[in-house]
Amino acid sequence: MKKINIMLSKWKGIAFALPSTLLIIVLFIYPFLLSFQRSFQLADDSYSLLNYVQSWERYSSDIFFTVFISLVSLFILLLLSIILSGVLRLYSFAVVEFIFKIPLFVPYVVVGHAVRVFLAPHGTLTSLLNALNIVNPDNLPQIAFSSAGLIFALVWKNLGISLLLVLGSFRGVNQNMLEAAESMGASKYQLVKDFLVPICKSSFGVIAVLTFTSMMGSFSIPAMIGGGGGSQMLMIDVHQQMIEQQNLGMANAIGVFGYLFSMGATIYYLNGMGKGAETKYGS
Amino acid sequence: MEVESTMRSFVYKKLDWQAFLLKILLLSFAFIFIIGPLSSLMIWSLAREWFWPNSLPTVWGLYYWERALTGDIIQSFILSFWLAIAVTVICLVITVPVAYLIARRKLPMQAVFMAIFLIPQAFPQLPVYTNTMTLMYKWNLVGTVSGVLLIQLVGAIVYSVWTLVSVFRNIQPYMEEASFILGAGALKTFFKISLPMALPGIISAGLLVFLFALDEFTGSLLIGAPFIVTAPIYMYNAANGYEMQIASVIAIILMLPGMLFLGLLQRYMKSEYLAAFGRL
Repeated sequence: MKKINIMLSKWKGIAFALPSTLLIIVLFIYPFLLSFQRSFQLADDSYSLLNYVQSWERYSSDIFFTVFISLVSLFILLLLSIILSGVLRLYSFAVVEFIFKIPLFVPYVVVGHAVRVFLAPHGTLTSLLNALNIVNPDNLPQIAFSSAGLIFALVWKNLGISLLLVLGSFRGVNQNMLEAAESMGASKYQLVKDFLVPICKSSFGVIAVLTFTSMMGSFSIPAMIGGGGGSQMLMIDVHQQMIEQQNLGMANAIGVFGYLFSMGATIYYLNGMGKGAETKYGS
Repeated sequence: MEVESTMRSFVYKKLDWQAFLLKILLLSFAFIFIIGPLSSLMIWSLAREWFWPNSLPTVWGLYYWERALTGDIIQSFILSFWLAIAVTVICLVITVPVAYLIARRKLPMQAVFMAIFLIPQAFPQLPVYTNTMTLMYKWNLVGTVSGVLLIQLVGAIVYSVWTLVSVFRNIQPYMEEASFILGAGALKTFFKISLPMALPGIISAGLLVFLFALDEFTGSLLIGAPFIVTAPIYMYNAANGYEMQIASVIAIILMLPGMLFLGLLQRYMKSEYLAAFGRL
C-alpha cells in the first residue's frame, strides 16, 4: 500500500525549517568551519602550520591531561552507573533513585562551585574529617584543586543522565528471563554481570561517546575548580588564548585538537557499532 | 503446603535482609556523594563567620541571603529569567515545525538538516563560540541582550529539536492519516491533531529549554561580557572573587527551578524524552 503522505510541498517544508536551521548555520556551523581556516592563519594573514606547532609545543601536556581526565571520569562514571543501575533494577529504592537523579538539573557552574566548597582544603569535607580526627590539620589534602576534584565534579554532573539511560535500558530487559536465571541459581551479581550488562552493551557506547565529548569540551567546571597549577583542561587554554592573549590562530588550533578528539570518539563508536552488527549477522 | 510457605517466607526474609543492607549502603553513598556537596552550599550560604579550624560556621545568619536578594544580584536574576522566557518562546515557535517534519520524514534533504542539528552536539562549544564572538563583534552584538539571546538560542534549538523529535515519534501517525483521508489539509491536520496530541511533550520540552537557558554559561560569558551579567555569570564572578557566601546563595537559587522540575519529571514526564535526547 502506498503510504499516505500528508501533502506539504517541498518548499513549504523547507520554509518552516528555515528560521532555526539558518540560526544554527550562521551562529554555529559557519564559525565552526571558520575555526579550521583561522587555525592556519597567522597575525599577518598568511597561512602556515605555525599555530599547530606552537600549540603542540606549549599545550601537548594539557592535551594528554584532558584526554586522561575525560577517560578516567568516563570509566568511573560507567562503573558507578552500572553498579547503581544493577541494584536499582533488581531492587527498587525510589528515594535513592531520586537522589542520584538530582545532578541532572544542577547547572554546571553550580556543580563546580559546590564541589569546590565541598572538597577545598578548608571545605566541608575536610572540616568534617578534621572534626572526626581522620585528617591531619597541618597537612590537609588538596582535593579540590587537583585532578581528583575535577574528576569528582565531572562524574557528579554526568551521573544523573548516565544513570537515567543505563537504568532505562536495564529496565527494558525481560523480567521473566531474569527470574528464570535466578531460579536456576544465578546470584544478583551474576544477573548484572552475565545478563544486564551484555544485553545493554550498545547503550553504554552511546553514553560513553556523549559524555566523553561533553567532558572534554567542558569549560565551566574546570574554570571553577582549576587544574591545581599544573596541567589544565583544553577549553581553559582556548579561553585564555582567546580572551587574555587575543591570539585567534592559536586559540583555534587548540580548538581543532578538541574537535579531533570528539570526532575520534564518534568514529570509534560508529566503527564499533558496525562491527557489532557484522558479528551479529555473521554468526 | 505448610513447609513450602515457611520456606518461601524464609527466602523472602533472607532477601529482605540483603536488600536492607544494600539500601543502607546506597543511601549513605548517595548522601555523601550527592547531598554532601549540595549541603556544603547550604552551610556556606548561612555562614556569617567561619574561621578554620571550626568544622561549622561560628556565626550563622541570613545576612548574605538578604544581601543577595536586595543588591544588584536581583537584577541578574530578573535578566536571566526574562531571557530564559524569551528563549523558550522563540525556540518552541521555530523548532516545533522542524521537529515535526524530521520526525515524520517530510523534509527534503532530511540527512542534511539532521546533520546541521547534530553537529553542535558532537563538538565542544567554546572554540566555536569564540569565533561566533568575532562575528558578533562585527554585527555589534557583543555585550548586548540580543547577542546573549541569540547565543542561548543556538544551544536551546539543538536541545529542543531532538527532544521534540522524540515527542513526535512517540505519537502514532494514524490519527493524522485519518484526518487527512477525511479531507483536512496538512496545516489543519497539524494544528487540530498533531499539535494537541503532542502538547504534554511540548510543555516538557519547553521546561527543559527554559532550564537550559537559565543555566547557560559558556556562550553568555563570551558574548555578554562585560555588560550583560546573567545569574550564572554573577555566581562565577563571585566565586572567583572568593565571595563564597554570595556565590552559594546564588547557586542554591539557581538550583531551585531544576529541583522543582525533577519533582515534576518524577510524576508526570516520560523519561523517554530525556533518554531519546541522548540516544538520537
